[in-house]
Amino acid sequence: MIIGIPRSLFYYKYGTLIKTFFNELGIDYVISNPSNKKILEDGKTLAPSESCMNLKLFLGHVKDLENKCNFLFIPRFESVNKGEKLCTNFYLLPDLVRNIFEEHIIDFNVNVNKGKTMKSAFIELGLYLGFSYNKTVNAYKKALETDKKVKNNLLLKQTNTLNNSNKKILIVGHSYNIYDEMIGKPIINTLEENNFSIIYADICDEKEKNDELSSSIYFTYNKELIRAINYYKEYVDGIIIISAFPCGPDSIVNDLIIRKTKDIPIINLIIDEVSSNTGILTRLESFMDIINKESAYGK
Amino acid sequence: MNKAYLGIDIGSISTKGVIIDENNNILASSYIWTLADPVNAVKKLLKNLKQDIPKNYTVVSVGTTGSARRLIGIMTGANVIKNEITAHAIGTLSKYKDVKTIFEIGGQDSKIILINDGIVTDYAMNTLCAAGTGAFLSSQAKRLNIDVKDFGKMALNSKNPTKIAARCTVFAESDLVHKAQIGHKKEDIVAGICESVVNNYLNNVAKGKKITPPIVFQGGVSKNIGVVKAFEKITKEKIITDDNGHLMGALGVAILAKKEKEEIFDFDILNLDFETKGYECKKCPNHCEIIAIKKNKKIVDAWGNRCEKGSLI
Repeated sequence: MIIGIPRSLFYYKYGTLIKTFFNELGIDYVISNPSNKKILEDGKTLAPSESCMNLKLFLGHVKDLENKCNFLFIPRFESVNKGEKLCTNFYLLPDLVRNIFEEHIIDFNVNVNKGKTMKSAFIELGLYLGFSYNKTVNAYKKALETDKKVKNNLLLKQTNTLNNSNKKILIVGHSYNIYDEMIGKPIINTLEENNFSIIYADICDEKEKNDELSSSIYFTYNKELIRAINYYKEYVDGIIIISAFPCGPDSIVNDLIIRKTKDIPIINLIIDEVSSNTGILTRLESFMDIINKESAYGK
Repeated sequence: MNKAYLGIDIGSISTKGVIIDENNNILASSYIWTLADPVNAVKKLLKNLKQDIPKNYTVVSVGTTGSARRLIGIMTGANVIKNEITAHAIGTLSKYKDVKTIFEIGGQDSKIILINDGIVTDYAMNTLCAAGTGAFLSSQAKRLNIDVKDFGKMALNSKNPTKIAARCTVFAESDLVHKAQIGHKKEDIVAGICESVVNNYLNNVAKGKKITPPIVFQGGVSKNIGVVKAFEKITKEKIITDDNGHLMGALGVAILAKKEKEEIFDFDILNLDFETKGYECKKCPNHCEIIAIKKNKKIVDAWGNRCEKGSLI
């Protein structure tokens, strides 16, 4: 049996957790290829009109898994923290995929607001796949440990970056945007080619997070990002917000960030399906000029 | 022989070129339509400039800016290739050293640049939508059967500008048709369009930005006196425009070129055969859009590929 996992949306948040869980149980899985033009084109033809770019990419990733697996792992995440929510797209994924594809889907539901925790979802999954309760619980524990280890390593690496002498740019965006080959990667590559060090807002020590700006935001992922900004602000030379078009939560929260973040250069880059990157490059180059100040003027 | 510097600003709609001397005085300038053919636009531009440059001057350095800056930079062997925002700021600062805010509305782009102590501190550009730019004005002028050059003057005759939706070109156009059909005067509609351009700009591009005078307004749309007056009416500030406002990007990049290594520029590239080609690389699912530029049938540069497989050079 092979389980297919789309490299999109939830994958960038819970990838380690899911992969370790399957590894521990000895289940084979396949992950779709990194986003590319074909995946986006496929997604565009499959997605309902007016979908966001991420949803289109997601469906392209599911298409990429066709004939490569027996089951699709399409989880439903409604809320992961009490009193908060995720974007609607995260909780309609299984229904949408079921409507479009013939493949079997494995159920996985997380809705903390209704008592369905991550742990209970993983245990249900293990039992459904025919494993004993003990084995499942152990696999989940191991997955949690590994996930924590990976996150700690990233945090350590980022702390080292904070101490280097390069100019630094804080990237604020959902992990499924900033690490995606079609959305955030080209931007981050351009910045690195120009000798900027990148600090990622989605990697942040829980202890350092600051709720000053975010107390009334109930979109979990946006809340996490906005809490990291206050901490990293004093260490970086500029902030770039990356969003995919269109995004409801981002359109509210990014505006809030820009209005409330003073005394530091900040831009919001919105990525859409237009294949030419000239517009983004112009914005990026100008932003780098602002950060490099005098040197950009040949002074 | 005196040294001169060439700056080319090649935008989506128009191509601008200046030649300056060592003191940033403009020796020659040209302003033509790009007509979706940057290579030939630049050839034509160079031909105009070659005729106008005083005989005792030689171009020793070249800079390019605008959306086709890279292509044209390769073609002319430019020493500096710079984004429009920095180029516009430098050009404007050379004439108005105290400027704090630059409004720029071009053919498809609109931007606001904020300057403090002679350095750009913040900017914003239109995001996905080109509403309220030159392209919008020229299509509305066509619809009203007015020469876009007379548009501004006509707006000044209006005493009672018609309210026109500012958000989206498509909606603005249906709104405009509706207003015409119910009997609004043409000059009122024209003035309404000018105000809608300004409202769109201030509510979208300049949203949340602190606008401090002195304000310089440039880009093709700054030639439209109706829009200039609408800006003054709505911002209640004096708006500075410059006869050479459309040349500021080219001027800025020419000034930047002054600081580069000197090398005599040969206007003979006019006679070379340049050909560009864009295609999708099919060697992997990334389908990168590759642009190749050929000089006399030989590839001189290519870009757009994300990996080695798409490399042509």
